[in-house]
Amino acid sequence: MHIIFQQLLNGLSLGGVYALEAVGFGLIFNVLKFSNFSHSAIVAISAYFGFFISRYLFPNFAVTLLMTAIFGGLIGVVIEKLIFRPIRLKNAPLTLFLVNSITAAMLVQQVFAATLGSDYYTYPEFMKETAWRLGAFTVSKTYVIMLTISALVLLFLSYIIRKTKIGIAIRAASSDIRTPSLMGVNVDFIVSVAFFLAGILGGITGYLLGMTYSVDPFIGSMILKGIIAAIIGGIGSLGGGVIAGLLLGATESLLISQIGASLTPIVVYSSIIILLLIRPEGISGKRFIVKA
Amino acid sequence: MIELIGCTVRYGGITALDNVSIKIPDGKIVSIVGANGAGKTTTINVISGMVKLAKGSILMDGESLTLPPHRIVKKGIVQIPEGRKIFPTITVAENLILGAFIIKDRERIKANMERVFKLFPILKERMNQPGGTLSGGEQQMLAIARGLMSDPKILLLDEPSLGLAPNLVLEIFDMIKQLNREGLTILLVEQNAQKALNISDYAYVLETGRIVSHGEGSKIAGDPVVKKAYLGIKEV
Ligand SMILES: Nc1ncnc2c1ncn2[C@@H]1O[C@H](COP(=O)(O)OP(=O)(O)OP(=O)(O)O)[C@@H](O)[C@H]1O
Ligand SMILES: [Mg+2]
Repeated sequence: MHIIFQQLLNGLSLGGVYALEAVGFGLIFNVLKFSNFSHSAIVAISAYFGFFISRYLFPNFAVTLLMTAIFGGLIGVVIEKLIFRPIRLKNAPLTLFLVNSITAAMLVQQVFAATLGSDYYTYPEFMKETAWRLGAFTVSKTYVIMLTISALVLLFLSYIIRKTKIGIAIRAASSDIRTPSLMGVNVDFIVSVAFFLAGILGGITGYLLGMTYSVDPFIGSMILKGIIAAIIGGIGSLGGGVIAGLLLGATESLLISQIGASLTPIVVYSSIIILLLIRPEGISGKRFIVKA
Repeated sequence: MIELIGCTVRYGGITALDNVSIKIPDGKIVSIVGANGAGKTTTINVISGMVKLAKGSILMDGESLTLPPHRIVKKGIVQIPEGRKIFPTITVAENLILGAFIIKDRERIKANMERVFKLFPILKERMNQPGGTLSGGEQQMLAIARGLMSDPKILLLDEPSLGLAPNLVLEIFDMIKQLNREGLTILLVEQNAQKALNISDYAYVLETGRIVSHGEGSKIAGDPVVKKAYLGIKEV
C-alpha cells in the first residue's frame, strides 16, 4: 500500500511534466496547426541553462527555475522569429513548418552532442532533506515540489488563455488566424505570445527533467511522452492533454512497480495504439483537424 | 474622409482592381455595387490593409493609410467581413471582447457591450454560448456588434444582409441608417443593390475591377443602363 502510494505520487509528478510538455506542444499546434518538434530544443537548451545558472550563478531553486522559465520563453520567441515567421509570411505549406521544427530539434541536439556531449551534468542538491514524513508515509520532496510547480504553471497558463484579452485572441486565432487582425489584433504578436508561453512551459520542463535526471544532449527527446499525451488527450484540447499526461505518468509508474521497467513501455505503447484505434479523437472527444 | 486614388490590386496574374478611385466623405453612406467577382471585397480589404496595393494610394484625411490591418483598426476603420467570420469556438461575449481589443479601459468595454446588447438583445441571451452555435442571422448580428465594440468612426460593411430572412434584411438596413445618423461613416457593399442604393448618399458601380459609373445613390438606382447591366441580375 505504502509503496503503491509512493509510486502513484512519483508517477503523477512525472505526469505533471508530461502535462507541461503536452500543453506546450498543443498550444502551438492549436494556433499554427503543425506538430512543433522544436519544443524539444527549448527543453534541451533550458535544461543546460538551468544547470549552468544553478551550479555557477545562484544555487537557489526558485530563482533559477524562474529565470529558466523566462529564458525558455525567450528561446521560443527567437525560434519562431528565425524559422517559422519567415515561412508563415510566405504562406508556406504546413509540411515545411513540420520539417523546420524537426530540423531545429536535431540541430540543437547535435550541437550539444558535439560540445557538451561527453559529460552528464547534474543539478546541485537544492534540499538538504529529501523526504517528508507524513505519519506512516514518506514522500519525496522533489516529487511533491515538481507536481506543485506543474500545477501552478498550468493554472497560470489556464488563467491567461481563458481570462485575458490576449488569451481570447490566441483562442480566436486557433480557429482563424487572419480575422483577428480586423479586430485590431496584431497576429504576429499573438503568435509570439503563444511561443513565449509554450517556451515558458518548455523551460520549466527542461529544468524539472534536468533536476530529476541529469542533463545530456538527448534530454529534449523526452517530450515525446508529452506529445503522446497531447494526442491521447485529444489534440486541440489543452485540458485533455493535462489529464492524459497525468494518467500516462501514473500508469507508467504503477506498471513499473508491478511488472518492471522493461515490460512497462511495451504495455504502455501498445495500449496507446489500441486506445487511439478505438478512439482516434482522444479522450476529450474533440473532433480534430488533420494537419501536418 | 477616406480616399482611394488610382488603386490597382493584383492576385498573382489576376487584376482584381484596376485604377480605382473612390471617395468616402465623413458622415456619409457610400456603396459599391457590382456583380460577383467585380472586386468589391477586394476594395474593402485594401482599405483594411488585408491586401496590398500594386499601384495607387489610400489616404485618410489627406494622410497615407498604408498600414498593417491591426493599425488600420486603431485609426477607427473597422471592417465587418463577408461571411461574418465569427470565431466559432469562443463565446459570444468573448467575440465581443475581442471586437474591443484595442480598448484598454474595461469599463468602456462593458459599456460598449451593454450598448450592442441594446441593439441586439438576442446576443445577450446567447452571451455564454460558442459563436459557432448561433444561427446565420444571429452570427450576422454578432459580426456587426463585434465591429461596433471598438467605437469605430468608419464602418466597412461587406454584404451584411447576405443570407438573412427578408424582415431581418430590413432591420439591418434600418440599423445601418441609424448608425449613420449617429455619426458613423459607412462604406457598404451589398448583394441587395437596390436597397443599398436607396440608403446611400453616393455609389460606385464596379465591373471586373473597374469603376464604370458613379453618382448619387438615387441616380445610380434609377439609371436604366446600370439597372439592366448590374442591378437587374441581382434583384431578388
Ligand atoms: N486571394 C485571392 N487570390 C486570387 N484571386 C482572388 C483572391 N481574392 C479574390 N480574387 C479574385 O479577384 C476578383 C475580385 O474578387 P472579390 O472578392 O473582390 O469580388 P467581389 O466583388 O467581392 O465578389 P462577390 O460579390 O462574389 O463577393 C475575383 O475574380 C476573385 O476570383
Ligand atoms: Mg465579396
